[in-house]
Amino acid sequence: MSRQLVVSLCIVAMAASLSCKKTGTPQDEAEHEAINGVDLVFKRGGSTVATFTAEDPDGDGGNPPTRIDRITLQPGQSYTTEVVLRNIVNGTSKVVTSSVTSQAVHHEFFYLPSGVAVNITKTDKDNNGYPFGLNATWTTTTSGSGTLLFKLMHKPRIKGPNDDPSKGHSDLSVSFPMTIQ
Amino acid sequence: MAQPCELQISGVVSDIDTKAPLSNATLRIRENGRSTVSNAEGFYVFKDLCPGTYTLTVSHVSCLPVDTRMRLETNTVRNFTLPHDYNQLREVVVQGATDRQPDAVKSQLSGKDVAETRGLTLGETLKRVSGVTVLQTGSTIFKPVIHGLHSQRILMLNNGVRHEGQQWGSEHAPEIDPFIADRFTVLKGAGALRYGADAIGGAILIEPRPLPRTAGLHGEVNAIAFTNNRMGVINAMVEQNPATAPQWSWRTHLTYKRGGNARTPGYWLHNTGVEEVNGSLNVGYRKDRLKAELYFSAFSTRLGIFWGSHIGNLTDLENAIKSPEPLFNIDEFTYRIDRPMQKASHYLAKATLQKETVSGDRWNLMVAHQENFRQEYDRAMITDRPELDLNLGTTTVDLHFEQKAQKNPNGTFGVTAQRQANVWSGSRFFIPNYTSLMLGAYAMERFTFGQTNLEAGVRYDHRNLRTFRNQNNQLSETIRSFDNLAATLAMNRKLGGNWLWISNLSFAWRPPTVNELYVNGLHHGTANFEIGDPDLKSERAVNLSTQLRYGRDSSFSFDLTLYTNRIGDFINLVPVLPPTLTLRGAFPTFRYIQTDARLSGADLSVSKDLSQALQATIKGSLLFPWDIRQGTWLQQMPAQRIEADLTWYFRTGHPRTSYLTLNGLAVTRQTLVPDPLIDYLPPPPGYFIMNLEFATLLHIREKHLNFGVSMYNILNASYRDYMNRFRYFNDETGRNLVVRIKIPF
Repeated sequence: MSRQLVVSLCIVAMAASLSCKKTGTPQDEAEHEAINGVDLVFKRGGSTVATFTAEDPDGDGGNPPTRIDRITLQPGQSYTTEVVLRNIVNGTSKVVTSSVTSQAVHHEFFYLPSGVAVNITKTDKDNNGYPFGLNATWTTTTSGSGTLLFKLMHKPRIKGPNDDPSKGHSDLSVSFPMTIQ
Repeated sequence: MAQPCELQISGVVSDIDTKAPLSNATLRIRENGRSTVSNAEGFYVFKDLCPGTYTLTVSHVSCLPVDTRMRLETNTVRNFTLPHDYNQLREVVVQGATDRQPDAVKSQLSGKDVAETRGLTLGETLKRVSGVTVLQTGSTIFKPVIHGLHSQRILMLNNGVRHEGQQWGSEHAPEIDPFIADRFTVLKGAGALRYGADAIGGAILIEPRPLPRTAGLHGEVNAIAFTNNRMGVINAMVEQNPATAPQWSWRTHLTYKRGGNARTPGYWLHNTGVEEVNGSLNVGYRKDRLKAELYFSAFSTRLGIFWGSHIGNLTDLENAIKSPEPLFNIDEFTYRIDRPMQKASHYLAKATLQKETVSGDRWNLMVAHQENFRQEYDRAMITDRPELDLNLGTTTVDLHFEQKAQKNPNGTFGVTAQRQANVWSGSRFFIPNYTSLMLGAYAMERFTFGQTNLEAGVRYDHRNLRTFRNQNNQLSETIRSFDNLAATLAMNRKLGGNWLWISNLSFAWRPPTVNELYVNGLHHGTANFEIGDPDLKSERAVNLSTQLRYGRDSSFSFDLTLYTNRIGDFINLVPVLPPTLTLRGAFPTFRYIQTDARLSGADLSVSKDLSQALQATIKGSLLFPWDIRQGTWLQQMPAQRIEADLTWYFRTGHPRTSYLTLNGLAVTRQTLVPDPLIDYLPPPPGYFIMNLEFATLLHIREKHLNFGVSMYNILNASYRDYMNRFRYFNDETGRNLVVRIKIPF
């Protein structure tokens, strides 16, 4: 009986020491594949006049976004804008805008001003001829301050020509403070 | 020319395996409806028969019926040997063939109840046991809940092995195919010391029947169709005990399941399809006092998560809740499964060795390894990779010694070791890598005094948890250890008649799991941030349960369980402010905190024959989940429920294989919720649904097919259940007609 016990204990020890998993070298928790940097690039007459940025370098959770710029524009002006989307990992930025433009038929950008006199029109369309909104024109009138809610909605197969900004789910939703002066 | 009708058929009915004569077997001649019953020696006789061709059906309560056609020209002697019905056979041999179950407060599901659930998930199957409910995530994910507790607080024994997956997730259904088992035992409360002290809510034993011991090749094919989600399930099982090598036996099974979008009474639920492939192989060797078995099983599933539930942030959630019908939905049927979805697979290899000593005691050794893979896909953003990708490997070794059951006192002593390693590789951090080592030793002794059995047990466990993190390329390692003692005392007393009274007092503990300690991230599909607490202590449970049980035959059965489970340092996920702010908007945030909880309640199940053909059953469960420290109720606990069945057994004279059951289930609105209630929606109103079950045996070419029909939610009622995490978004599924055919061979 004691011999059986010794054999059993050996099997126990063997099984307990078996492991082929690389638990000791985990992947970096900061390496998340997500859009955690947004630039709104403002142009007038073809040249860039301002860029406003929101960044959350550690991604969802952890620390709150480290940077959300105040959008400051002049009254009575017209701007063309373009969105640049970035993935930031360990301080290094990579532009990932194409991952959304390649799926434009499933996405739509929204610009929802509140308390500021600005008229925003999307100037681009997806392959189905529906609004996309990576590019837009912004026309300001009078001075004031408020917020600009910037949204990227994801709506695979349900996108239509006149969607409400709440349709689908939010891939991005950033509330920029905004001033026209 | 007309012959006088004075011929006779007579003979003896006996058991095919034991050759013992079977009394009370029913013999029926289909053509003239005459029937008789075999006597104590198994003898039967039909007299005064006209010449002709007759179909004689022989049936017995514990056997599969046999049909024979015969031409009657002279007096004939015809003997019958009946094969055992598998489900019934199991009950007969179980005590000898498998480990003795503890004297715990328990409820079982077998026979007819299991047959009626074929094709459903494990969680839905177990829902039939009184005191068991389910925690649902939409229409595809079901987790069993025992007395309000679920996930890592209950333990599942998959053919004797602790099932180890990512149990912590409320949307992680157990990766077990119910087709492997023909009996499900729910041990209520913390009485299951042998399997681990951490099962403070109870344990579920998922048990295949023993490998065949009588020569022959047998099997069965199950084909099941569901109308609601147009799901088909096909299952085949073959087993053999070769006549040429009687010490060997084997069994294999394969299941395939494919379903599309589910439908509520008002609309389709887009992306709620499921596809599942499972299989197993079991080989056994038995000679003299030695028994060895090898068992492999594989489970693999891919299931869609309802689009309308997969919201982006708090604003999306509020919009979704405000809308009476899902905002984000495509109201059509498809089998296609898109993101968001889950893929989960589970592989188990197990070897067991049992050696009986000359004095009848047994040594049992088990070595098992399981690998669990889980991949969870949110909607595609800038990557095709899954957001959550986890692989957990678990090696378990268990050695225990059981004294012969007839000894008084008799004991069970064992040691167990388990090593786990978990690796994450998704595109988003949720829980860290870890290794864990668990060493345990247990001893249980059972004393018999006349009509009373007393069972006392202790178990000591040491757990060591090492976590590995990499934060901005900074590697760090944390070690935590937990040492605890658990104990149980059970009393089991035969009262007069067939009444049995069981009481159980147990002290158990559960160390915090990795997610409770270290989780930090967005939970898949729930749009909730969860934040762990690395300083959590072990939960400690004191459980007192008592059960009064009666059961002799099917004419009357009674089962009343009363329980109270006090859990000190109960780990609870509670909402906190402020919400987490991200570039995707704000997210509701939850933290793990500890409190003291007391879960008390009662389960009742009574069944009685009203006449030879009519049977009534009533089942009910009450639960009062109290948060002692906060002085209020606990959140997300099942509401009170009562269920009634009326069964009509038609074709009397046969054993009860043909019946029609009408079932009504009433669930109250959950009013026992925390005050103040922090929830997006108050608990939904109570509901009442009706279900129908029909089953019969079909006779085709002297073979018997089991044919069954179920209809769930026959009134096509629209309702939502508090225990469904998608109650914010959509109704429960509507009417569902299920057709089942089982072909044994």
